[in-house]
Amino acid sequence: MLARMEISADSLRRTAALAGFAWTDAELEAIRPAVQRLVESLAELERLPLGAVEPTTQYRVL
Amino acid sequence: MADLGRMIATKQVSPVEVVQTHLDRIAALDPKLRAFITICPDAALESARAAEADLVAGRTLGPLHGVPWAPKELYSTKNIRTTGGSKILADSVPADDATVVARLARAGAVLLGKLNMHEFAYGPEGLNAHYGDTRNPWSADTHRVAGGSSSGSGAAVAAGLAPGSLGSDTGGSIRIPASLCGITGLKPTYGRVSRAGVLPLAWSMDHVGPMTRSARDCALMLGAIAGYDPADPTTSVLPVPDYGAALTGDVKGLRVGLLRAHFTDAATPDVRAAVESAAKALEGAGAVVDEVSLTHVAHVATASAVIVASEALAYHATWMRTRAQDYQPDVRERLRLGAFVTGAHYVRSQQIRALLTREVDEALARRDVLLAPATPLVAPVLGERETTLGDGPSDVRAALLRCTRPFNFSGHPACAAPCGFTAGGLPIGLQVVGRPFDEATVLRAVDAYQRITDWHARRPTAA
Repeated sequence: MLARMEISADSLRRTAALAGFAWTDAELEAIRPAVQRLVESLAELERLPLGAVEPTTQYRVL
Repeated sequence: MADLGRMIATKQVSPVEVVQTHLDRIAALDPKLRAFITICPDAALESARAAEADLVAGRTLGPLHGVPWAPKELYSTKNIRTTGGSKILADSVPADDATVVARLARAGAVLLGKLNMHEFAYGPEGLNAHYGDTRNPWSADTHRVAGGSSSGSGAAVAAGLAPGSLGSDTGGSIRIPASLCGITGLKPTYGRVSRAGVLPLAWSMDHVGPMTRSARDCALMLGAIAGYDPADPTTSVLPVPDYGAALTGDVKGLRVGLLRAHFTDAATPDVRAAVESAAKALEGAGAVVDEVSLTHVAHVATASAVIVASEALAYHATWMRTRAQDYQPDVRERLRLGAFVTGAHYVRSQQIRALLTREVDEALARRDVLLAPATPLVAPVLGERETTLGDGPSDVRAALLRCTRPFNFSGHPACAAPCGFTAGGLPIGLQVVGRPFDEATVLRAVDAYQRITDWHARRPTAA
């Protein structure tokens, strides 16, 4: 999982490539602030004590 | 819709007259509102003439016989293009109707055309770079947003271009435009209405539902579209109740929980006062009102964004590799964020989803419905990025989604309806949330409120 850190263009490029996307430097730079915010929000989720909670996998369909 | 259906059934008006009147209004007002992407005058008039011939011959298909409507542009419609508000699907013409479109056709409803939306339903403002931004009919000249993603549905129903619509709701896309445009919109329980033939945004969060002027009309449309569909494995086999019969106007003893903290207390002063006033009105009609807060809701914004970004990118991955330049910029950026979310993040978000669902269930174990703002603010101006809510500054997009997406997360039914206006004449929206598959009680509460107030009956002067 991504840890809390300053997101560099290189790390964005590598992560995007792993997901199968080849985005230009300009495109990556454009989304860098949004990814930074996302990563910081995800770090907050990481701190929640959720260990034993069963995740939702079905949607109450009767 | 109910009134039109009655007038048609009793031959006070003909379906052809009704459809022509709506087509005339569309021709006069839509160039300014941009509610429609595709208008189908010939097909609509042909359907209206067939409906009229049936009536003359003594054949009637029910209360929607000959009544016009228009779906959001992401419902598959046989031989009518279904773009999803995108350039990518600009020439896509489905071979079949979505299940719910076919059900409304079998009920005799007449399709007028297809309604504008935020591209691929991925935005709460209702912006569209390809077909134009829908304007809010309450303030078209000052360029306020209609709300999204079902922006055309909100504007068209409010302006009288269509008496009813079907929107879709992944984070609030029915209830946000309903709130901002002063109409009534219902997101049913997840599994109550088929999504087959509806372009997805995020499969586990997408809901299909009616957008009309009143709870009574929502009940009418919901009754026609709800129920099991073998083409959508998430639909429920539970029987569909008579929603119209549930609208008794009686809320004596109804247990209502006013959602505080994240919801009512965080709204702008106008919205907070209107929602509190609505709670008092229900109390005056015999409901028992108390206050409740949801603690896990604080994490819904991030967890919801993770789930929607992951599922949306999964659907759009091929186009994002080959036609990324054809998306409008804000949608392209949101889709790209999905590439930076891991499987572990997705599961963690589903854990939060389980916690919130349980918490809402617990709140509803002792109450029949919950009450909250549908949106904590009224319609923003096009291009406005920042706003101030009751608990401080907020990004406009986050503010619009704030009160609605918890119930996409949990799957509970939720209905938005007008509960007042600002001094500047902009509608304020209330939200009523109910137990799973208990849309009847949600609609009963909203209908009872609409019997003792007239907010839902007001019309924008420009329209």
